[in-house]
Amino acid sequence: MATTLERVKNITAELLKIDPSIIQKDSRFVEDLGAESIQSIELVAAFDEEFDIEMDEDEALSVKSVGDAVTFIDRYLEG
Amino acid sequence: MSDNKYRALSEEEIAALEDRGCRAGDWSKVHVAAEFDPSRFHGIVFHGKVEIARQSGEILLSDGRKKSCGIYNASLENVAIGENCYIANVHVGISNVNIGTGVAIENVGEIICEGESTFGNGHAIDVLNEGGGREMNICAQSNAQVAYLTIMYRDNQPLIDGLHKISDAFCAQIHSNRATVGQNSRIKNCTKITNVWIGESAVLDGVLSLREGTVASSAEAPTSVGSGVVAEHFIIQKGASVMDGAMVASSLVGEACKVGKQVSLENTVLYANSEAFHSELCSVFGGPYTVTHHRSTLLIAGYFSFYNAGSATNQSNHMYKLGPVHQGILERGCKTGSSAYLLWPARVGAFSAVLGKHHANFDTTNLPFSYISEEGGRSFIIPGMNYFTTGTFRDALKWPARDKRTVSNKLDFIIFDVLSPYTGQKVIRGQEILNDLSERSQKSQTFVSFKGIHMKRLLLKTCSRYYQLILDKYFGDIVIKRMQHKSAGTLADLFTNDSDQFVSHEDQWVDICGLICRKNRLEHFTAAVSSGEIQSYAQIQTALQAIYTTYHEDEWQWFLAQYAHMNGHPLQEESSGNWQAFMERWNTASRKLLKMVLSDAGKEFEGNVKTGFGVDGNQDADFANVRGVFDENSFKQQLEKDMQSADARYEDFMKLLV
Repeated sequence: MATTLERVKNITAELLKIDPSIIQKDSRFVEDLGAESIQSIELVAAFDEEFDIEMDEDEALSVKSVGDAVTFIDRYLEG
Repeated sequence: MSDNKYRALSEEEIAALEDRGCRAGDWSKVHVAAEFDPSRFHGIVFHGKVEIARQSGEILLSDGRKKSCGIYNASLENVAIGENCYIANVHVGISNVNIGTGVAIENVGEIICEGESTFGNGHAIDVLNEGGGREMNICAQSNAQVAYLTIMYRDNQPLIDGLHKISDAFCAQIHSNRATVGQNSRIKNCTKITNVWIGESAVLDGVLSLREGTVASSAEAPTSVGSGVVAEHFIIQKGASVMDGAMVASSLVGEACKVGKQVSLENTVLYANSEAFHSELCSVFGGPYTVTHHRSTLLIAGYFSFYNAGSATNQSNHMYKLGPVHQGILERGCKTGSSAYLLWPARVGAFSAVLGKHHANFDTTNLPFSYISEEGGRSFIIPGMNYFTTGTFRDALKWPARDKRTVSNKLDFIIFDVLSPYTGQKVIRGQEILNDLSERSQKSQTFVSFKGIHMKRLLLKTCSRYYQLILDKYFGDIVIKRMQHKSAGTLADLFTNDSDQFVSHEDQWVDICGLICRKNRLEHFTAAVSSGEIQSYAQIQTALQAIYTTYHEDEWQWFLAQYAHMNGHPLQEESSGNWQAFMERWNTASRKLLKMVLSDAGKEFEGNVKTGFGVDGNQDADFANVRGVFDENSFKQQLEKDMQSADARYEDFMKLLV
């Protein structure tokens, strides 16, 4: 079973159409990975679908990096 | 002016006038007031019947100069001149004109009336559909709502006939072989004014040519027409300004509109507080607050309101087949980004932002507050997203604050609310559409299509949640508004019924060019016009005012009907716990909205936006000095206050539950 980090990396790579190997835990979606604002929304939606969760819209605003996303999702899953 | 106020000139007065370079074909046709001072007249050529009221004292001109009242160097033919005017250096002449009291006319070519005229009123123009079929008779006293019904309701021929009768009756009243210059108007440095009715306190300065038109104006809402303006078959309503080389043909400029900087208007109507500069507008139906400021922008064959056009916005209304027969609708509150292109026919839902070039003929009327973009030549929509942007939030504050109409009886009726039963019903439908698409789509699909536009499948649930947030916010807003309006001390106070009609959750709401109302109410109005019960523009204003004043009560009743429909029981029967949950959802939605808007505003202060700042030095320091610091930004501070205010109102409401 892939870890949350691996699954987040895979989704991010697929959605942003970038090589997964360049994605690090501290990579920031906008500044480092080039996500545009719409893609940020799509990323949240993709995480929702992948992990079967509903990330709160305004809380999702605080997710700036891959690591933030992992922490956020794990907290949701632990619930 | 009645003849008995005037008398013929005496021999001495004629001699005095002739000594001062005046001539007349027939002096007996020159009548003056009892008190007549020949020293105030010089170099006048009189033709036909001329009546001159008493001229005395000084007059203050628009540029601050004072001049002795009188007439100097002018040719006058069949003219009546009111008291205390200043008319000087009219090079060709004034002919067939009634001039009011206190008017100043200086350095003008000619002001004439040729034959009979309705002064632009009743002139039919091809609005919205350039190929015709939606002709509208422009009229000085008609408003945005009349325009909407005339242009849009072509499926109701008795209504169209009724509106045309009202227009015809108005034209019959005002047609004349004499033009008018209203009292206290100022006309200076103008070349040619033919068959133009000019209202009170108007300022015309440097006009090149006005022909067949009305410049409605009043002391409380003076109208300005400025340098280089060329206008033909036009109506300019009170408080408007048409300046700096504007070219206006077969068009109406509404109350407090600003038009200028060489803009071209053809077969176009613009209603209250619209602004058009530099651009080209052709067959445009511009509702209130239609704004275009850029030279490269063409607006054509479209309906817009509360609209902002980005530079180089453009549309196409024909495909080189049967001519320019296509039309487009941007419902209220839309924006188009720089270089946005729309291929008509298309219909964009309310409060949407359109970016990129769109060659699909999409219809997003039931997907309001959307972000519409282009990717790889295809049009994509993110429903609901545009509600949570700084732009929409600021617009909602800005429009009512920028209502520049100073006239006491405003022609156009405007409901400013962003969230209203009109947008609310669309949000409800939009959510149903998204949920349905979500249920029917497969996980393998990247996108789904709806009425000509694509949506990312991944975003269907997200956007449905956006719409739920909007509804939670809106429904709570209505309750809070009701609590405040009723000064409610108990829950029961909210339900005091002020409505005269039953309102169903299925009632359709319409946006009649700024006036949001229940379609049922509008249908009573249109029936009265069709039957001839309403016969004049004055009666139209009275009837529309009655509809306008019912808005808030109808909104409340509509909300109650929606609530009962959605929850299976009336709000009045709701338990205290459910009331609390309802208002908690409102408070949460309000806070989320404000946080999302705050986050959107914060993007103006971070990352790439600093590019180009500190070009040869410190980027952060340069940016801070030019744009300020986000924490000190007034908009941010306002949002934070709004959050506190939402909490306070929530607490106020909770007291009703005790």
